This record gives sequence, C-alpha cells and structure tokens, in this order.
Amino acid sequence: MGSFKVLGSRVPRTDAYDKVTGRALYTADLVLPGMIYGAFVRSPYAHARIKKIDVSEAMKVPGVVTIITQENLSRDYALVIEEEVHAAQQVRGLLAGEKVRYHGEKVALVGAETLEAAKEAAALVKVDYEPLPAVTDPREAVKEGAPLVWDDSQPVTAPDGSLLYNVVAEDHRSEGDVDQGFAESDLVYENEYYVHRVHQTYIEPQAAVAAVDERGRVTVWSSTQGHFVVRSNVARSLGIPLSRIRSIGMTVGGGFGAKFGGVVDLYAVLLALFTKRPAKIVYTREEDLLDARPAPGLYIRIKTGVKKDGTILARSAFALWNVGVGGGALWATGAFTRLYNIPHTKWDAYEIATNTPPMGAYRAPGYPQVLFAGETQLNQIAADLGMDPVELRRKNLKAEPGFFETLEKVVEKVGWFQREKGEWEGWGIALGHWRNASSPAGCIVSLDEDGTAKVYTGLMDLTGTETAVAEIVAETLQIPYEDVTIVRGDTDSAPFSPPSGGSTVTFSVGNAAWRAAQDLRQQMIQLAAGQLNALPDELVVADRKIAVKNDPERSLSFAEIAQTALRSPSGPLIGKGSFGGDPSDTNIFVQAVKVKVDPETGKTRLLRCVQALDVGRVINRTQCEGQAEGGALQSASWALMEEMQYDEQGRMINPNLADYRIPTAFDVPDMETILTEFPSRHGPYGAKGIGEPPITAALAAVASAIGDATGYWALEAPVTPERLALALATRQPVRAR
Amino acid sequence: MATGTKVEIVLTVNGRQYELAVEPRERLLDVLRYRLGLTGTKEGCSTGDCGACTVLLDGEPVTSCLVLAVSANGRAITTVEGIAEGGNLHPVQQAYALEGGLQCGICTPGFIVMSKALLDRDLDPSPRKVRYWLSGNLCRCTGYHKIVQSVLTAARMVRERASQTSQPAG
Repeated sequence: MGSFKVLGSRVPRTDAYDKVTGRALYTADLVLPGMIYGAFVRSPYAHARIKKIDVSEAMKVPGVVTIITQENLSRDYALVIEEEVHAAQQVRGLLAGEKVRYHGEKVALVGAETLEAAKEAAALVKVDYEPLPAVTDPREAVKEGAPLVWDDSQPVTAPDGSLLYNVVAEDHRSEGDVDQGFAESDLVYENEYYVHRVHQTYIEPQAAVAAVDERGRVTVWSSTQGHFVVRSNVARSLGIPLSRIRSIGMTVGGGFGAKFGGVVDLYAVLLALFTKRPAKIVYTREEDLLDARPAPGLYIRIKTGVKKDGTILARSAFALWNVGVGGGALWATGAFTRLYNIPHTKWDAYEIATNTPPMGAYRAPGYPQVLFAGETQLNQIAADLGMDPVELRRKNLKAEPGFFETLEKVVEKVGWFQREKGEWEGWGIALGHWRNASSPAGCIVSLDEDGTAKVYTGLMDLTGTETAVAEIVAETLQIPYEDVTIVRGDTDSAPFSPPSGGSTVTFSVGNAAWRAAQDLRQQMIQLAAGQLNALPDELVVADRKIAVKNDPERSLSFAEIAQTALRSPSGPLIGKGSFGGDPSDTNIFVQAVKVKVDPETGKTRLLRCVQALDVGRVINRTQCEGQAEGGALQSASWALMEEMQYDEQGRMINPNLADYRIPTAFDVPDMETILTEFPSRHGPYGAKGIGEPPITAALAAVASAIGDATGYWALEAPVTPERLALALATRQPVRAR
Repeated sequence: MATGTKVEIVLTVNGRQYELAVEPRERLLDVLRYRLGLTGTKEGCSTGDCGACTVLLDGEPVTSCLVLAVSANGRAITTVEGIAEGGNLHPVQQAYALEGGLQCGICTPGFIVMSKALLDRDLDPSPRKVRYWLSGNLCRCTGYHKIVQSVLTAARMVRERASQTSQPAG
C-alpha cells in the first residue's frame, strides 16, 4: 500500500454544510401533527420511600392527556438496558416504585398538549415521601451501617477480610505473584486516589420522539449513538417484537457514551402507546445532569513495586467504582497495567451502589479514572527516584508497534529534555491507550448509471465516521470522494450496524464497506473483462475507469460499466460486505501539558497541550486531529474543573452549566497534535478506532504538571482551585511512599 | 401558564417581516424555532450558559433563550439561516466546514453567528481576541483549536474578498 488517492485527505465532513447552515435536523427540531409533550415528575430526594402519589390535581390542568406512574404500568415493562460497551445488563423499574434511589429519579410521566401544560401538571403531582439516609461516596457506602441502596444487598468479604457493603459486582484478576514482586522490589509505593463522577456534557440534551401506527407498529426518532441498540432496548423493555419497531437515528449533538438509549426514548414510546398520539420528550439541562448516564467515580488504591533503576516489578490495585444505581465499570480496572512490562499484577475491583444516577459510558469508559491514578503515581515515583518520567516509560514500555515511536514524537515536539518552566509552572506527561471494539456490521455499495457509488449503511455518525466510510469506498473503487453518496438508513432500511461507541465504527463498518466495495469492484472488473476481451488481471482500475494495462485506449468508464450492466443478464451491480469482528490492535495516546498555577487562588491554567495518537491509518486527517484535540480537552477539564457535587442529603448541588463548568475557548491554548500510523492487522487500510484514546491521559498529565509546578501531587480529581489553594496554604504536599 | 393575553409584535428575521401575536412569557428562541420554523438556532441549557441559541439582535449577539419575544418587538434578528449572503455561504460558514471547526454540530449555529458578529466588527482579530469573543459559546467536541482556526481563516477570506472588490475592474 503505497500512496493513497483519497485517504489522508482533509475533505469536509459529509454533514458539514448542513451543520453550518442550520439545516441538519436534530431530534428536538421534529414536530409531528397531533404531537403531545412529556414532562417528568422527579424525586427531590436522593433516597426516600414513596408513600403515596396523588395525580388528581395534576389531571385537572387543561391539556393533560395522561399521567403514568409505576402503578399503572404493566408488570411486563421494565427498564432493560444492554450497555453495549460494558456488556453489562441493567434492569430497573421504568419509574420509581416503592422507593426513589437518587435525586432526580423519574417518579411519574405526564403527557399533555403543550410542554407548558405538561410541566404545570408535573409540578402538581403530589408525592408523599419518607426521606431516608443517602450515601453518594463509595468510600462511605462500603462501611457497615451505611444506607443500603438495594434492600437485598449482602456484604461481601474483601481480600483483607473486612466486609464491604453495597457491592453490586466484583472482579479479581492476577498474573504472576504480586507478593513475590513486592518482596523483590527496592521500593514499594502505595497511594489512594479518588475521582469524582463527571457528566459527558454533550451540548444537545437527551431527546426522543415516538409514534405508534394503527397496527401498533412503533417508530422512534432519537438522539442516539446507535439506533439498532435503541430498537433492541425498546423491544426488551416494553415487550414489543423487534420487527414491530422502527428506530431512526437523528443528527446527534454529542453523546460520548451517554446516548445508547433508555434515558428518554422508552418514555416517548410509552406516551405514544398510552395515548395513540406522537409524543416528544426533550430533557432540560438540569434533567440531563440529574438523570442521564454520567461516568462512574472511582476510589482506587494502587501499589507499585520498583527497582532503584525504575524497573517496575509489581502493581496491584483495590478499586471501588461508584456506579450509582447502575453498573458496568469493572472491566476497565486493569488499564493501569497494560502498557508496561510488569511481571506481577493483581487487582480486586468492586462496583459500589450509591444514591446517584446510573453510570454510563464516557469515552474510553473507566480508563481516564484508572489512568489518572496509575500514570500520576508513575510520575510521582519518577520524581522520587530522581528519574525523568519519560525515562521511566522508556524503561518499562512494552515494545508493541507504535508505542515507543509515538512517545518519542511528543518528546521531540515538546523538546522534553530541554523543557523550560517559569515560577509556578510545570510539565506533565502521561500515556493512555485503547483497543477499539470490533463489531458485526453490514454494508451495501451499488454503482449508479453515472458511475458514482451509493453506500447503504446503518452507522450513526458522531465523529465523522460517515466521512471515513465514504473515503474508504472511494479509495477502494478509485473514484473521487465526491462520487460517493452515503445513504444512512434506519433500522428498517439499513443493514445491521453497531452503535457509535468504543471506537468501533470506522474499524467495523469501515471493514464492511471495504468488503462491499471490493465485491463491487470485482463484479465491475469481470464485466469489463468480458467487454474488453481481456483477462481480469490485465485490467487496471483508476480515474473512474477500467482499462487494459498495456493498451490504455481499450477502456470502459464507470458510467459505461454501470449502463452495460443494466443491459446485461446480470443486471445492476451491487456489492455486499459483512464483517463479523476481527481483533484490532492497541493504540497508544501520549499527552504532554504545561501548566501555570496561581498560588493565591489555586487556579491552574493550561499553557501547552501536546498530544500524539497512533491512528493506524489516517483516513481523514482533520477528523483524526479533531478527535485527539476534543478528547484531550475533555480529559484536561476533568482534571481541573468537572465534578458532580452532592450535598449531605445526596442532592446534586450543581445541575446547571453555570455551576457544572466546562472549558471555553478562552480557557485553553492551541492544540498541538501529532498523528502516527502503525496499521492495525485487521483495520480497513490499517485504521484503528480513535475516538476513545484521546481522553485517557490528560487527567494524569495535568495532575502531574501541577505536581511539577507546586510539589502538590494530586490524589483527587478534579484538582479544583479550592483543593489546590488549600493544599498550598496548609503546606501539605502529598508525596508518594 | 396560559394566560390568554397576547401581544402583537413585529419581528424582522433574516430580512423578512413577521407579524405575530405572542404571550408575554414566550422566549425569542421558541418563537424562532416553533412559530417561524427556524430550527437552526439550538437550545442547550436554557440559562444563557452554552450559547447554542445565539442570534443577532440589531447586530448584537444575544442568547435567545434569555430574550422575551416581546422585547424584540420592532427589531431585526439574524439567525444562522440568515448568515449566508445571496445564496452563497458566508466565509465563516465555509471556513468552519473546511477547517473542521465542527463535529456534532449542535453548537455550530451559535458559533457561526458569534463569529460573524466578531468579523462584522474586526476583520483581523488576534487569536486571543477570537477566543475571548467565543468564550460565551460552549463546544464539547473540538477542543476549540479548529474553531479558532476557522474564524481566523474566515477573517482572511473576508479580507481577501474585500481587497478584490475594492480594486477597479479590468
């Protein structure tokens, strides 16, 4: 594979022009004839028994059509969510039953002619609560006497023999013998880290519209990362056969893992089923912060044994994931071991229920939390050993393709070993990684009479994957990108596709599209060979035509091939591609940052943000850079400012964008991004999934830069101005050992 | 809260005049989106923090979720649908598309409108000034770098166009 005609380009996204003109249609933009609007009654308590729900006053509000509570829901209904990324299943009531278990939990659903009437009625639903003690911190939730989130929960015995309460799942893994590893170590470091829960904070709140036809067939339009997942979740949760559901994915205003369904889509369908009218539910920002699928929090104690020369011999961890009333975080726990040659590893991980909303995926789910601890600790160890953090990595990094090379790119770009810093300034570096999910996908590519190609796919485009698939097809057929039309279908009209999550789409749908384009190309060559009286391997495909290699005058344009096919017994040319899922390869992400700390206020400012990502193969350079830059900032922001905050009673105190802050353009420097290409064995043209890795490293890089600037090694993320100012004022730098 | 009281107002939106009867409580955002069908203007937070609903009110950028429709009576409004000029994309729109200044696109209309407001006042803004001007608009996808590049590119395109048109023909 030498040079590419299309791959590596900077062509605009397929949807760019619709987005800059305001034409792109998002779910909240939909208005259907006769549509009603949904509004929720939500729990003001983090934990309470529901004694009585009285809807009589609410029903009197003009325009109210229905009010649904758990009491008038069929017992067959339940919230059944297959978390595709986590492979975990969550089953709960659709609405609160005897108890509410987090602030903002859905208690009742009102459907009304107008949104105003729905909200007015929701405010008039009287719910008698008996408040119960709540727990939002997993460190408290595991203690004896802590409020039990789930009544039937039984304590489990931890490795040290103590009892842990509120455990919903656990995982224990080991390789080698960590006890032996620690015994052989010159130095053993043990640190406790705590990462608060954060919200993905997509700018488009969750939204769905649903309608039911006369024969009971359901159509649901939603802001989702995977309309096929929405279909299966609606089927499982509401007991509707799959074939009776049509799921349409609208343009998505950001998801980052929180939009696999179950937050609003099921409820819009419920309203439509109850009232036989189209129904729309659009979350407010407050609702989204209270009751969506934010990332899990993490308490993790990491122990690392090293030789004096920096060789890592053993690493172990004890982890408590704060999963709220959900689950599915365990599998990420081992992320702190995978990049390095470590003979002895072990981890014990638990999912802890708390009175906070159910966890969901957030971009490389769990990795940012684990790597905050793992990579920050390595930098502390390097500082303690008087060793450069890059040298420590060089000594221990696995020799997998691209690992060293990508690290060295950042070293070179920063001028790491000549780096300079002023007063209260510091540098931090950290590594992250991901191995993209590989998922079943189908694709069809047809050739039109004008020689252009149409691609039929069921992908959901969040990150520019539609553009990537178009480029892969264009490259394979040797036609310009502009000659490819993507037909993005719904669950009725498209072949099966995985949801956009786990960095799977370019890899998996890209493979299916590549296979479909190859199939089409072979059919075109066969047909051209017959027409040109040549053998197939005497032909070359280039510039919208197929020609005889040694006699280029003998050629057929793609348009002629398509038209000939229409007149031939074989008929129109249609290529098919299916992909079942072949393994990908790990890609590394390297993050370096420079910060400046204001010692008076504790505020940390990013001065430089340099990152390198192994993408396997650049399909679209602009989109690859965009993924790296957006992920890096999300991670840096998690390090500095993002935190879902709860009061003593378990109520969230910052459910709005003035108090739950995310960075603005004025808060951040230019992004310096390097792409490396170490092809994946099975990726289309070697491409690896790239959505996840960019969020995995800046938490630790920023925390370490603060350590470099102040001597205060962060054990808690985010390192807010309050926390840092307090640490500096009390002169309690926290060091390893 | 349907009060039944309606107020007659006249809005000039993207150069076209609309006569409307609105309730005093109605937000400009809802009037644009649901009465006039101009759904390009987006709602992200309803509290003026995200900037997705930014429109120009007599040329001044405002978050339309915080503006009552009655207070826009008699005034001129430009939404993202009115940024293109004579059927051609405005340089700001071209630049955002070409430079990758957008991903999911939900914040894009607000950024496009705010960027145009800046270029209406300054054809050669510094990168820092661009960042300052855009600090009322939140984007979660891009990390802002390519957005800033888009505005700088758009400024250059507008300057080049101005210098071309100011030269005598022939």
